[in-house]
Amino acid sequence: MIEVRNINKSFNNVPALKDISCVFHPGEVNLVIGRSGSGKTVLLKTIVGLHHPDSGDILFNGRNFVTMTNYERQHIRREIGMLFQGGALFDWATVEENVRFPLDFFTNWTKLEKNQRVEFCLERVNLSHAAKLKPSEISGGMQKRVAIARAIALNPKYLFCDEPNSGLDPQTATVIDDLILEITKEYNITTVVNTHDLNSVLAVGERIVFIYQGEKWWEGNRESILQAHNAELREYLYASEVLKKSGLLK
Amino acid sequence: MNFFYLAGQYFVFLRRVFAKPEKQKLYLRNILTELWNLGVGSLGIVVIISAFIGAVITLQTAYNVTSPLFPLFLIGLGTRDSMILEFSSTIVSLILAGKVGSSIAGEIGTMRVTEQIDALEIMGVNSASFLIMPKIVAMVLIAPVLNILSVFIGIFGGFLTIEATAVIPTEDFLYGLTVEFIPFYVTYSLIKSVVFSFIITSVSSFQGYYVKGGSLEVGRAGTRAVVYSSILILIFNLILTQLLLA
Ligand SMILES: Nc1ncnc2c1ncn2[C@@H]1O[C@H](COP(=O)(O)OP(=O)(O)O)[C@@H](O)[C@H]1O
Ligand SMILES: [Mg+2]
Repeated sequence: MIEVRNINKSFNNVPALKDISCVFHPGEVNLVIGRSGSGKTVLLKTIVGLHHPDSGDILFNGRNFVTMTNYERQHIRREIGMLFQGGALFDWATVEENVRFPLDFFTNWTKLEKNQRVEFCLERVNLSHAAKLKPSEISGGMQKRVAIARAIALNPKYLFCDEPNSGLDPQTATVIDDLILEITKEYNITTVVNTHDLNSVLAVGERIVFIYQGEKWWEGNRESILQAHNAELREYLYASEVLKKSGLLK
Repeated sequence: MNFFYLAGQYFVFLRRVFAKPEKQKLYLRNILTELWNLGVGSLGIVVIISAFIGAVITLQTAYNVTSPLFPLFLIGLGTRDSMILEFSSTIVSLILAGKVGSSIAGEIGTMRVTEQIDALEIMGVNSASFLIMPKIVAMVLIAPVLNILSVFIGIFGGFLTIEATAVIPTEDFLYGLTVEFIPFYVTYSLIKSVVFSFIITSVSSFQGYYVKGGSLEVGRAGTRAVVYSSILILIFNLILTQLLLA
């Protein structure tokens, strides 16, 4: 479980996050939605420690990430998998070496154990055939899947995904969404996904936080979101032609 | 940006780069890769430029000698000492600043904007150390080798032109190469190469590591890397010369 308590974060005195609090549970895909520039990435990066919050606390299963020493923080980082918006695969390494990297760095496993784990992770994302290719030689959707394989290599307790289906066609996006949902259930991971894709919202949004200009504006699930009365949230949802035409919005 | 802020940031950066590595085996492997990339990658340009400049220095000195009182062996001596004192250390470093500096800044900068550095940090890897320390170590190790090589190639270039043009007798040139040899010049030259290669790699990585934005900024970081390292090389050339030769 991750508890975010009263997080504030500004860049050059311009607030990006204003007093955000939320709770993310294990075995659930938690969505953070909002318009581009609303602060989703900053929130995610603050939770994982790439940005230091100006105030507030972040608890990973009760352990306060903000106040702990760097050494303790390293320990929690090894329980975190993250999927970056562009995939962030190491371009000097092959697909297989990307997935092996965390194992090389953080385990003392034998070569055989590592090979098996790499095979397993690539198999899980259906990419065994691409093991020897370089990131530049595979499609965007495949890159995202490799990034997922790398993120789960060390059996993370927490998984963060920043816009996992940005730049993908709707079908590929669905594959990625499903993969994230399945993995979350299989390994009981606390998963947090940033997205502005309303398809994902309705497909995997078990718990949804809507952020508007750096503030938490609404919180609920995929059932309640369609009945929400919040004006900014409705405006956000109405931007989707599909949703409007479907007659789902009440 | 404020000079003192930048300098402070640079030294904080260096402290991270030289933090104790966790997985020494992986670092060792990276150092070997970089030795190959940076060392072998720089070989061609160093050989070509040294050969031509050695040849030209020799010819210029030879054609400028008009007085019959001028001992001809000084031409060989001049080529040798010009290469050792200035060309093979300073000029070669300036050229490498252009070649290696922009490529390092581009490589690290691209990793920054494509979030590869964030990905390393998330895993708990000290990205500054993992990515950059092997480059600095490799370049500092390879620079003295390139320096010595450049001296020999330069002198060889001079020798070939003497052979080809017969502007002075070959024996005079060869004699000049052995006369009044001051070993400390070599030490001085090697010290400069080591310092300059440290400047090139660290300054260029620094520029790349703190890139914000996109490909445009990566390109700018590459330019800054070359300009800043070149200026620092010129300044340190002056300082080291005063310190070591005075
Ligand atoms: N490193 C940074 N420095 C300064 N401002 C930033 C930085 N990162 C994000 N911001 C600002 O914070 C706001 C939220 O950005 P972001 O979280 O990336 O939005 P999104 O919801 O699209 O992911 C934006 O106004 C952005 O300009
Ligand atoms: Mg974003």
